[in-house]
Amino acid sequence: MDARPPLSERRAETSMVFNRRFDRLILSTRVAVIAGFGGLLAIITLAGIDSIRVMQQIRRNDDQIRQEFLSRNHLLNNIRSDLYLSGTYVRDYLLDPESERAESYRATLEQVRTEMDSALESYGSRLDASENQNYTALKIELSRYWGILEPVLQLNAQERQRTGYVFLRDEVFPRRMTMLEIANRIADLNEQQLNAANERDAALLTSFQNRLAVTLLITVLLGISMAAFSTRRILKLEARAHIQYQAVSEARRQLENLSARLVQAQETERRSLARELHDEVGQALSAVLVELRNLSSGLAVQSEEQLSRHVETIKGLVENTVRTVRNMSLLLRPSMLDDLGLIPALRWQAREVSRQTCMDVTVSTDLASDDLPDEYKTCIYRVVQEALHNCSRHSHATAVRINVRQEPNQLTLSIRDNGKGFDVKQSKGLGLLGIEERVAHLDGTCTIHSEAGSGTVIAIDLPFTQQSVKNGERNSHFVSG
Amino acid sequence: MRAGLKLLLEKQPGFKVVSEASDGHQAIESALSSKPDVVVLDIAMPKLTGIEAAQRISSQLPQTAIIILSMHSDEGYVLRALKAGARGYLLKDSAESDLIEAIRVVSEGKAFFSPEISKVLAEDYVREVNIRGVEDSYDLLTLREKEVLQLLVEGRSNKDIASMLNLSLYTVETHRRNLQAKLNLHSFPELILYAVRKGIIS
Repeated sequence: MDARPPLSERRAETSMVFNRRFDRLILSTRVAVIAGFGGLLAIITLAGIDSIRVMQQIRRNDDQIRQEFLSRNHLLNNIRSDLYLSGTYVRDYLLDPESERAESYRATLEQVRTEMDSALESYGSRLDASENQNYTALKIELSRYWGILEPVLQLNAQERQRTGYVFLRDEVFPRRMTMLEIANRIADLNEQQLNAANERDAALLTSFQNRLAVTLLITVLLGISMAAFSTRRILKLEARAHIQYQAVSEARRQLENLSARLVQAQETERRSLARELHDEVGQALSAVLVELRNLSSGLAVQSEEQLSRHVETIKGLVENTVRTVRNMSLLLRPSMLDDLGLIPALRWQAREVSRQTCMDVTVSTDLASDDLPDEYKTCIYRVVQEALHNCSRHSHATAVRINVRQEPNQLTLSIRDNGKGFDVKQSKGLGLLGIEERVAHLDGTCTIHSEAGSGTVIAIDLPFTQQSVKNGERNSHFVSG
Repeated sequence: MRAGLKLLLEKQPGFKVVSEASDGHQAIESALSSKPDVVVLDIAMPKLTGIEAAQRISSQLPQTAIIILSMHSDEGYVLRALKAGARGYLLKDSAESDLIEAIRVVSEGKAFFSPEISKVLAEDYVREVNIRGVEDSYDLLTLREKEVLQLLVEGRSNKDIASMLNLSLYTVETHRRNLQAKLNLHSFPELILYAVRKGIIS
């Protein structure tokens, strides 16, 4: 069976579910948007920090490399120039015939040696592994050079003049050339090192570029997906809002429709009551009045027989009127609802409907007492009345089962027929709307299950509130039947 | 209405109207002071309803027969009246024609209902049996049980029935229990109502 709750409940339920879903959607959207944009911002920030860091690193490296290169080059140049100078001073020392000047050259030479040694030492302290061999060779060569020079510096003027030139030509100049070569090699290496350092920098830069490219790619992709996601969510929310708006306006339309129909129904009821009062009661009483006037004026009464015939007529008219008035008052408010309570009133109604239609209406209940609040009694009574009215008019049912159960916190009512059923979604008369409104008024729920061909079940739950229980106690003046 | 009925009863030989009352409380007071054989109560009285008055009177004066006058022909009211201790139930429409007979019948200890009530109840019963196609529970009773039921609803006590049917009191009580179980009726008023519906009494 297709279970479809009634309109008002469905409306409430749907809108509740809808609201919950809507809230959840908004919440999840917020979380997603915050996470997405937060992630995006974090990535961009990290990339920025990384670039600044890398740039600083490269600059620092660059400075360091240049500094290093320049200082080593400087040292090497010093060594070289000292070497030249030493050659020059040795020559001057050897070739100068004056002993005093020669002595000053020697002193200068010693000074040059000290300078060179300190330059060499200083270079040695910042030596690179690749230069080690050349540096050692240079050092050895230098110490040899100075070693050879050592005895020469002790010579007197005659000896200097005799061996000076030969010594210069055979020992000093070739060695000086060798050493200059070594120094050049070291300079080459130094240059190579500079290049290598530059290359390392370049590699650092390249890897940074790659990283930046990847980061950019990710950022762009994430941005695009965020944009797509946000757009989709916005569209979805828009659609939801639209649906909700429609639901609200539909509900309002229905409400307006309902109240218009209720006003109309009230008017119709009044009209029929007025007509019944006038046509039935009024006419009958007028007739009685006419008969009574005839009797009192002595007209139309010639015999005992005629008199009794007139009295019989009056009796018949009055009996009819009494019946009409009783039926009308029962229709308006059945006295047994107040006198006997809900269940006897329902039973009476069931019997009345059974008598007037071809439906078999039964009432079953587990209600121990009839101590129900007045509005509950009236609500259930009217709901049953409306449902039975619907059944007799539309359903072609042959049997209707009414069940009233009392549960700890609520009163449940079910009305089940075996009629042809209907599509709850499609058609809903004023009667069902009235039922739903009555039930909703007591915060109850009303579910209508129906399908073409399989009968209809109206199930109603009326929750008890503290207030209603108190009212019920106050109203329980009649002993239950 | 009261004046009309009083006039009717006063004319009847052997009848005497001992007191009158205009509301439920007065009715109880005057009934308790005059202890009449029969009390006729309108169901709709000011201050205290006829049902409530009947309840008080029947509990204080079990020998007094009570007739309820009502405009309701529904069995809910009839059952309520019977439970309150009434033995007769008359519709106001036809009270004048039936009151004398009703008073005679209830003073003999039997139950009395307006013919219209009997008719309506019996019709309802027949219709219910027909529509639902259920087995008539009356058919489940044995001949003896039917006899006991008949005598019971005519107002006989268990002891009377025992001597009339030549049975022991215990046997009558057993029959009564069994027939109530078979008919699923749990009180004497329900039994009376059933009898009316079934047409065993009218």
